[in-house]
Amino acid sequence: MDRNQVKKWLESPAKMGHKYSLWAVYFCTGCGIIEVPPVITSRWDAERFGVLPAPSPRHANLFLITGYVSVKTLKAIINTYELMPEPKYTVGFGSCPINGGMYWDSYNTIKHLDKYIPVDGWIAGCMPRPEAIFIAVTHLWTLIDKGMAKGYIKYRENYERYRENQEKALGRLEWPPLFPVKDENE
Amino acid sequence: MVTTIKVLEIIASPLVALIIGILFLGLFRKMMARIQWRYGPPLIQPVIDLVRLFSQRGFSHGAIFDMGIIISLAGTLVLILFIPIGGMCPLESTGGLLVILYVMLFAPIGIALSGGGGVNPNISIGISRKLILTLSYEVPFIFIILALMSYYRSISIVEIVNAQAHFRWSLFSPLFLSGVAYFMILPAMLGIRPFDIAGAPQEISSGAYVEYGGKYLAFAKIEHALALFIIIALFVNLFLGGGNLLTFLLKMLAVFVTGVFIHAVFPRFRIEQATKYLWFWPTIISFISLIFIQLIRWQNG
Repeated sequence: MDRNQVKKWLESPAKMGHKYSLWAVYFCTGCGIIEVPPVITSRWDAERFGVLPAPSPRHANLFLITGYVSVKTLKAIINTYELMPEPKYTVGFGSCPINGGMYWDSYNTIKHLDKYIPVDGWIAGCMPRPEAIFIAVTHLWTLIDKGMAKGYIKYRENYERYRENQEKALGRLEWPPLFPVKDENE
Repeated sequence: MVTTIKVLEIIASPLVALIIGILFLGLFRKMMARIQWRYGPPLIQPVIDLVRLFSQRGFSHGAIFDMGIIISLAGTLVLILFIPIGGMCPLESTGGLLVILYVMLFAPIGIALSGGGGVNPNISIGISRKLILTLSYEVPFIFIILALMSYYRSISIVEIVNAQAHFRWSLFSPLFLSGVAYFMILPAMLGIRPFDIAGAPQEISSGAYVEYGGKYLAFAKIEHALALFIIIALFVNLFLGGGNLLTFLLKMLAVFVTGVFIHAVFPRFRIEQATKYLWFWPTIISFISLIFIQLIRWQNG
């Protein structure tokens, strides 16, 4: 630990805790997950930054969306995102979650992930190198430090709009709303 | 004056256990990283994780879910007061080994109660595995404790520690076989590989801990750190002769490092393989040792 970070630790320990202990969800959406095993094992060792794969979404606070998002996966992604305790951060990995990538005219994938859940940062490329995950993590540190990584607050505030979009893509949702929604019949 | 010292000891021994336990968790991750040729996290990474987990919002699944984890943590904290930590034993005159045998079951039962509140199927699998594993290692453990108690003719753990002063350790006495058996069940008691079946992260998403988020997981981690301390401390007290605070901690470190090496090289057992192993070699060895001790006692009158 740096000596000049001691003041930051004393000022807001929670924020520093969130920075240096990012536990990622084990969730493979697409081909991008192939870059994650080298990142967490001996070659690129993400644990030295405190990044660790968590066995359950309840333990985690970082959600990596690795690769294209099919409509069926979107359901699982929304479920997993809502299971994670706040504060939580989402990073889109690869060009597919950004704008559809090479699946831009597919009948079965969604094109813009941030219509459905809030995304704090993107890693562009097809495929991004494993080092890009570290660059993303250090950028996320800066965002957390400045208080700009507040996707989860955005989700809470604009939940109605997000849920509307989710229903548009998936049809009727089987689970009750996470936050209170105004009834349409009123 | 004696009362003041006792009160200070009651405050100090859980604190020592907490600090050493959390330090061991950090050392565990660092050593595993170095064995795998990685750089590894900083030594205080468990503290950072705890700070993060305490500041997160946890989910509750009802009153039993909340109470179970508190029972488990409280049972572990009470257990520490019965264990001599380098000559510091706050509740030395009560019960001794028998109390330790009973109170050791509090932590798994608390976690099992807590899991009853959650609805995740992984919880029930994890709890059933944990209880089967406990049942498996308690059998040789009872034999070991009986052999110790009949050899030293005492149920007080402090007397057993004092009898081993000046390098007359139980490990190098007629109790040698019991010590070997205890070392064989030590990984099962610590829950490390090859016996990490109860909390297998890749198989059943960490078992009973799967629904814990935020401060619940933080309490579970603290409980884990304390349990790690207790089991190693018990081995050091019973077989390696305790000692003052410094030698005690050094002996604990030696046992712990051996445990990490075992964790690093072995794969995971299935539950029936674990039970088969624990009810075969350690049970036979500890039973032979128990009979041997009884024969010695009978010969000496």
